[in-house]
Amino acid sequence: MVTRSLLKCKGARWSLLGSFLTCAASIILVLLGAAQPAYTLPPIQKVAAIPAFARKYGLPCSACHTAWPELNYFGLAFRDRGYQMGNDRDSPIWQDPSYWPVTARITPNWHWENTSHQLTDEVTEAPGTTVTQSGFDLSGMDLWLTGTLFKNISFSILPTTDNTATWHFENAFVRFDNLAGSEWLNVKVGHFELDNLISEKRFLFLSANGGLYQNYHFIPAGDSNNFGIGDNQSGVEVQGHSANSYTRYTVAFLSSNEGGVGLTSSVLAPTPADNFTGRTYDWFFSFTKGFQTGSLGLQRIEPFFYYGQRPTVFNQMVGGAPLAGTGTGNKPFYRVGVQSDFFLGKFEFLPFFQHSEDNAYLANSLASNTPLSPGMQNAIWNGGFIESHYYWNPQLVFVGRYELVRMGQQGNPLNAGTTGNIDAYSFGYRWYPIMFSRAGLAWHTEYSITKSIGIMPLSLDGSGYLPATNTTPVWSSSVMAGFDFDF
Amino acid sequence: MQRKYIVILALVVVAAALSSALLMLAAPAPPAGSATVAGKVTYTGTPPKMKPIDMSKEPVCAKEHNPPETTENVVTHPPDALEYVVVYISAGDQPGPTPTQAARYDQKGCVYTPHVAVMQVNQPLEIYTDDPVAHNIHPMPKANPEWNKSQPPNTPPIQTKWEKPEFIPVKCNIHPWMHGYFVVLNTSHYAITGEDGSFSLKGLAPGKYTVTAWQEQYGTQSQDVTISGSETKTLNFVFKVLPYAF
Amino acid sequence: MKNKFIALSFFSGSLVLLLATATTCLAQIDHNIVSVTKTMTSNVEGKTGRAYDGGQLRPDVGVQLFRRYCVGCHGPAGNGQGENAQWIDPKPRDFTVATFECRSTPTGTLPTDEDLFNSITRGFVTTRMPSWSALTTQQRADLIAMVKSFSPRWENEKPGTPITIPPEPTLTVDSVLRGREIFDKLQCWKCHGPEGHGDGPSASTLTNDKGEPIPPYNFAIGTRFKCGATNQDLYRIFMTGLDSTPMPSFADLLKPDEAWDLVHFLRTLQVSLKTPELALFKQWEAAHPGQLKPLGQNPGTGD
Repeated sequence: MVTRSLLKCKGARWSLLGSFLTCAASIILVLLGAAQPAYTLPPIQKVAAIPAFARKYGLPCSACHTAWPELNYFGLAFRDRGYQMGNDRDSPIWQDPSYWPVTARITPNWHWENTSHQLTDEVTEAPGTTVTQSGFDLSGMDLWLTGTLFKNISFSILPTTDNTATWHFENAFVRFDNLAGSEWLNVKVGHFELDNLISEKRFLFLSANGGLYQNYHFIPAGDSNNFGIGDNQSGVEVQGHSANSYTRYTVAFLSSNEGGVGLTSSVLAPTPADNFTGRTYDWFFSFTKGFQTGSLGLQRIEPFFYYGQRPTVFNQMVGGAPLAGTGTGNKPFYRVGVQSDFFLGKFEFLPFFQHSEDNAYLANSLASNTPLSPGMQNAIWNGGFIESHYYWNPQLVFVGRYELVRMGQQGNPLNAGTTGNIDAYSFGYRWYPIMFSRAGLAWHTEYSITKSIGIMPLSLDGSGYLPATNTTPVWSSSVMAGFDFDF
Repeated sequence: MQRKYIVILALVVVAAALSSALLMLAAPAPPAGSATVAGKVTYTGTPPKMKPIDMSKEPVCAKEHNPPETTENVVTHPPDALEYVVVYISAGDQPGPTPTQAARYDQKGCVYTPHVAVMQVNQPLEIYTDDPVAHNIHPMPKANPEWNKSQPPNTPPIQTKWEKPEFIPVKCNIHPWMHGYFVVLNTSHYAITGEDGSFSLKGLAPGKYTVTAWQEQYGTQSQDVTISGSETKTLNFVFKVLPYAF
Repeated sequence: MKNKFIALSFFSGSLVLLLATATTCLAQIDHNIVSVTKTMTSNVEGKTGRAYDGGQLRPDVGVQLFRRYCVGCHGPAGNGQGENAQWIDPKPRDFTVATFECRSTPTGTLPTDEDLFNSITRGFVTTRMPSWSALTTQQRADLIAMVKSFSPRWENEKPGTPITIPPEPTLTVDSVLRGREIFDKLQCWKCHGPEGHGDGPSASTLTNDKGEPIPPYNFAIGTRFKCGATNQDLYRIFMTGLDSTPMPSFADLLKPDEAWDLVHFLRTLQVSLKTPELALFKQWEAAHPGQLKPLGQNPGTGD
């Protein structure tokens, strides 16, 4: 059965690509074989726009954000400077003593989730059934303190909750800015987001399926790696930028784990055996270059490279679980790609491409002191997305994205050739009824659908079940509408 | 046949245009008249007391005033005369040729003399300093461009002019008690009242005029007057004053 | 089937809402901002900036940029009455009177487009006006056109002729000493103080055009000048004056080489910057102790 949804776009000036992406002509839902698990997760809150800065500097949100929370190039330059305007008035001594740099953000919403091929108590065998859930809900909340401790010393503390108010730290760091009087040397220490030009923390999608980039978290089936470039990491970052932040570089030196605290992986890991943490360190490099193209706007491109290792041998256990930070038998992996941000007047395009490779031992969750079986090899995959935004005006933005992941080489011989391939479509819009210098409010509507072959669909908290076969396509869609506000 | 008429018509139109243009270019001076509007500007009520100025920040100037100079926003003289009121024709008059004689403004003992200087649009204005200390001339117009120039001791006068009619407050930033006015008018018939509050506008041709009196604190008052010959019309202005100054 | 229906109807409902709100907020933006001269353009760095109607790709380009970046402080009418203005000191510029501090043109004249461009690119240190260098050249050109569109003066009046700044002569200690004499003679210390600390006898009573208190520049702290950081910028500041502030123009009083002498002396007052002029001056002072007449003595009083 095929259901067609037609959306008319009256009155908007669309380019052909924009039409394709944001005026989806049809959505196909197909019920196929095996049962699939249900997972319906509330969209976990992302790092915010920060009205505390609007209050501190007397600027409306639109000055630093194309559409909050996404930064425009003025906002990026502000952030690169260590959340400083550079006018000798950034140190907190210049604010009224009652100014406190805190912002809270949450999104009460209504959402609808639909997943195919789920196994339930009533339907226990293939092809499974489709599960649909909907209702009013809360998102998680961010309570973000950030700004300057002193001139050229900036900080951030971001405790964040899920919708049950369970807290963890999304980021917490101190940064020494403009060392040796130069904007080319800044050092950040703590737990922070990698310097992604296309930031997952500051993007315009909030639904369960659309509120993450598949490529930023994808790990092939059977792979023991726990890395995603969208996850915040712990370590040291050396960063530099030109005065207008058109040219930037970053070098980061990070613990070889998922960025969790206590030398472990994320506290949301489902089982203790997922605490794959060792004593090695990863590296991240990126370089951004911006080009002015007259009336079109600014075009930026950021090649990046991540080189890391993960342990495969755990000789020190307590209660059957590996001790955090003690793994050995390290095997490497890398991610390399390009993130870019192009403007064509009011249109913004964000193409992304990444090539990834995980060592065979990681791809097969095999201890390195065991020989490889025939058929076991490195896992290689390529992925990318193209995201587009149309800013009707500073208070209205239409967004859309098409993303895909394609396995180039399966590391695990148990996987089929297409196991792990993902296609994801998302589109929606955000309308900001108020745009001023004290608080923010957005009405957010979004539709997102993903097709994942033979794997548990990626979701914001990682729960779910494996499908019946490794070639079963699982369709999962979400609709979300809510009021995203912060103060 | 028709073409001939069109040519004649065109020539007539051209001739008419040319002659009216010439007439406009000639810009005749206002017809010379011999009537006079004269009178007095007085006040009713209790005027504010003018306060003595503390010039201790500039001892050289303070020394020159014993007793100290007083503020000049409402200057009255017995029995009820108001000084520094500018009386001028605000409607019904023609601007006339621009005078070549410069208006003059002085800085003496850290005080502007005269307190109000009246001049016409585009009339040269010369600003002199007679003081051994530096001043800056900072007129604060809204219709004319604002400027700010330093005038140290023993420097030549500043030469300037104003292109639009306006009442322009003038101040010196270095000596904050110094306040004055440039009154720029586009009529040649104006007067400023002296200690007896009297004014006289001479040389008026027959016609209907509006006479306006301006005092820096109390604003303007206007009266209409019709001149038919060479008579002297009497016109008085009375300002209601209050015991406090702004 | 029912579920798809819900999704579909939800989407159509929100689309209706979207179109309604889109029209409303479009009106909200464009009608709030009112320019006097909608056809105003600017020419700077080889780009033409426009306040309104930059063509298909750039509709209402200056207005959109102004709405996004500037309206919070400068206000929709460009008169400095933005929603944040009451909490800001110094207050945002009022574009309707077309008086600007940082110009290359004489006092009382309009600045050039290049002056305005440099001002927004550089920002103003110690104020809330940031550096907008992150915006593209075209965007800044459009914003300049928008700034000009708020005052009718730009329609009829041409900008002044930029002053000529001759090349800087070689720094010598004699130049510094002559500059010191000029600082004394012109009585700059009346406002800036004998050591340039901004504590002269008249400093506490200074007000700007709107009657708000305004302090004179404190050389000793060494923050960047309002209108730049180089010696050429300093030369330009006192040879054109900072219109709308108490700082006058000294163009009629100083010859170019005298002006350069003054620049060299003023650099010695910026003690926290450790300028070469200061080093030279200190050297001379050490070799000639007690020879300098103190600054800031009122004439005829000896104090």
